[in-house]
Amino acid sequence: MRNLSDQEIIDSVRKGNDSDYSIIVNRYKNKAFSMLKRMLKNDFDAEEVLQDCFLKAYRSLTNFKGESKFSTWFYRIVYNTALTKLSSQKRKTETEMSSVEDHFDLVSDYNSDEIEKEDINKLIQETISKLPEKHSAVITMFYLNEMTIDEISEVMGLSISNVKVMLHRSRNALRDLILKTKLAEELK
Amino acid sequence: MIQITDEILNKYLDGELSRTEADQVKSALHNSDELRRKLNALKLVHSNLSSIIEDKVSNDFTEKLMKQIVRKATAPKQQKYFIASVVAFITLLCLVIFGFSISAMISATSSAAGNSQSVLDSVSSLSEGLVKMLHQLFSGTGLSIIGSIFSLIVLISGYFFFEMQKRSKASIGNGQHL
Repeated sequence: MRNLSDQEIIDSVRKGNDSDYSIIVNRYKNKAFSMLKRMLKNDFDAEEVLQDCFLKAYRSLTNFKGESKFSTWFYRIVYNTALTKLSSQKRKTETEMSSVEDHFDLVSDYNSDEIEKEDINKLIQETISKLPEKHSAVITMFYLNEMTIDEISEVMGLSISNVKVMLHRSRNALRDLILKTKLAEELK
Repeated sequence: MIQITDEILNKYLDGELSRTEADQVKSALHNSDELRRKLNALKLVHSNLSSIIEDKVSNDFTEKLMKQIVRKATAPKQQKYFIASVVAFITLLCLVIFGFSISAMISATSSAAGNSQSVLDSVSSLSEGLVKMLHQLFSGTGLSIIGSIFSLIVLISGYFFFEMQKRSKASIGNGQHL
């Protein structure tokens, strides 16, 4: 059986086949959860917010005009709901996240002298969650959800150049972590 | 000659530089161990990020979510039925009171008027009886009884309506803890 497109599923749900919405849920739940987990730094909150996002999206399906891809529209809901959750947790998100000019340094839990090449992947995976929320969202959308910079800028409501700056800063921060390890010498 | 910043290295990695700029970066990389180390570390980050693993939600996430959606869709219908039944009950009660008043009034006027000679007389005695009956109903103990009945109905309806709202909110809340 061929894979139904998002638009075909949405049309079916709009016609009253509510159960078809589960196809959309299964298609996006893990990717959206990965993004939320890295933004909220907490599994429980991520799953709670994810459920809220799917309910919001379901209620707003009639407002989805199809001008952008469903995934972009849905991730915008996910991103904005995560920001709302963060601000409700009074984590000073405005000051921590509003500017792409923010400077941040990452600290690894690993002893940099003991890191082997095969540990790098684990180190990077774990360190993404330590990036500022917006930066980890950019990384997840770009690498895991395979979204273009244009789509990410649409989701986040930022200019393309700002998204690129955030992507580059995040990569640089992770790179600096690697350069602090004994592996740096092997990279010449 | 462009200055090789971190930004330029990222753009070089993403293939966003012009051919001339890319050649300049290549030449700089050829001459600097430090730059080569930075670029290689960046490449390592890029390749590892490209293989990040997606996290998995709990197994019954979809099932619970769909239950929430169905519950949410049926909750407004239940509320509509509840309101309709309360309105129907009140209307029925009003009709019963009205019917009882009319029948009581008719029996009162027919016994009082006996064999009335004209239609006009019966109409006038009917209206008098109606006023009398209404006066009895809405004064003194009659008014208290009707007021009490209506207050009771409003209180009971309010309680059930509030409970229904609370239940529907709770069911949505429970669903958030998947």
